[in-house]
Amino acid sequence: MGGEEDDDDEDEEDALVGVVISRMPPPSSIKKEFLKKWLVGLKALSNSRSSSTSKKEMSVLERKKAIKLSADVAMASLKNGTTSWSRALIQNASKDGNNRTLLKSMLGSEYDKKLRIGSTTTSIMCSKGIRNTTVLRRSCGLRRARKISKDQRVRAGLMAKRLVKKRTQVLRSLVPGGEYMDEYSLFEETLDYIMSLRAQVDVMRRLANASAFSSKS
Amino acid sequence: MERIGDVESSLQFGEEIERLMTIPHESGTASSFTALLKLPANQAMELLHDSSEKPYDYSLNCTSSSSHLHFPSNLDLLERASRLSVFSTAAAQDSPETTNSSQNSLKVKNEPTETDSNPKSSPEISDPMSQTQTKCQRSGKRKGREKKVKNSSKKSKSAENEKPEETEKLPYVHVRARRGQATDSHSLAERARREKINARMKLLQELVPGCNKISGTALVLDEIINHVQTLQHQVEMLSMRLAAVNPRINFNLDNLFPAESGSLVEGNFPSMVMPLTWAQVQPIGNRQQQQQLWHFDTLHQPVWGDNPNFITPENSLLSYDSSANSVSMHSNRLKMEL
Repeated sequence: MGGEEDDDDEDEEDALVGVVISRMPPPSSIKKEFLKKWLVGLKALSNSRSSSTSKKEMSVLERKKAIKLSADVAMASLKNGTTSWSRALIQNASKDGNNRTLLKSMLGSEYDKKLRIGSTTTSIMCSKGIRNTTVLRRSCGLRRARKISKDQRVRAGLMAKRLVKKRTQVLRSLVPGGEYMDEYSLFEETLDYIMSLRAQVDVMRRLANASAFSSKS
Repeated sequence: MERIGDVESSLQFGEEIERLMTIPHESGTASSFTALLKLPANQAMELLHDSSEKPYDYSLNCTSSSSHLHFPSNLDLLERASRLSVFSTAAAQDSPETTNSSQNSLKVKNEPTETDSNPKSSPEISDPMSQTQTKCQRSGKRKGREKKVKNSSKKSKSAENEKPEETEKLPYVHVRARRGQATDSHSLAERARREKINARMKLLQELVPGCNKISGTALVLDEIINHVQTLQHQVEMLSMRLAAVNPRINFNLDNLFPAESGSLVEGNFPSMVMPLTWAQVQPIGNRQQQQQLWHFDTLHQPVWGDNPNFITPENSLLSYDSSANSVSMHSNRLKMEL
């Protein structure tokens, strides 16, 4: 049948496209931007540290936290508030008062504006999310009476649904700001988040390799 | 032609509906058609909106009163109503063969056909439809669940790619009820939602390596979660490495560059004979040699974009500055930036 042949071709095509997309590195423009912003943030951190009264050497953990924070914020700021996870990330970062200077230097004067816009959108989403039944159910700890069905197929389907629900819950905890999204936007955000994480890891790895090499020599 | 067959089958249903209409409406519980009529704006609107696929039909429905103009939409309504009648009343209907044939005929076409009016059934049909049309005038603003989805599960890839894009662009979601499935608005909406989610899942599957072979949502989600966790852990590890390397958080790119550009040049042009070997790169503190390196980089700048595997960011950072100033200023500027 023609349809089956089409299917085979489609499967091959799908596989090829999948391979290409998954192996394709993130665009270098994004990486450039990220690196620039990240370095700006790091510089701001080191400057603030040097000018602080304590003048203690930062421990490794503190340094690591600072590096990671500036990297995350740099990545999130590249999105300019278009994606939900970036907004959530910046908001989470700004909750801690110590990060104010860093954020200000990285995001610039628009920082306050963005934060306000971000907070309104997330608050709207929060209110929507509360109306979202899944969030309610989870928060109340309700366990809906499960249908007792004797049909094996139906039971398997129910179990599959339960598994999927558990996993989406885990995914929500991973993606910043995922708690308040509905399933569809969660997947969209995950897509975007994965792409940015890849770029971030790429740049960080190169920088780490380069600095390791230079320190060896 | 398909269309003629459709008209005929829908005419058969017109007669069936006529028969149903003679049953008193007040029962309002089981009978499909009465349920259809009893449904307030909801499904009547749905039916009407089915016909409002092309906007001019909708206006025709609502505004005009002459029977012959109603006709294309009436046929659509007939089809929908017939499908409803077929689905909601299980065994009550006679002639299951005609229903099957109608289902098949409905399955075959992709759009509700706007067929020409057949004057025979028009006066009979226009009466129930006019009732629904009055309701149409009330709720012009309805969100519009006109549902159409390609029936076959085998879709061409381009069509599949178009589908999610379509649902994003258009305000109406096009989902068609599949054979043997309920057609009330809730399940149709759910199905539309599920289709959207499945499209996104497919995209995610393509993105995460190794998900292509897996079938089943839960396992794919497993992979996705794994991937995200891996990436996040990598970020942590790398930031730990960077913290361990530097006593202070400043990355002195000046010191980094000689090594990097050496590796870059080597890596990008393995076939070329490199004037700089690793041994030469190491003892660089000399500005002149650095200048040479900078020149190398600017020369080869346009090629960097083609080789994203190599250290483009640091290099392009270099090139950003190099375009503006002379080489001797580079290292100073970079240090200042840091």
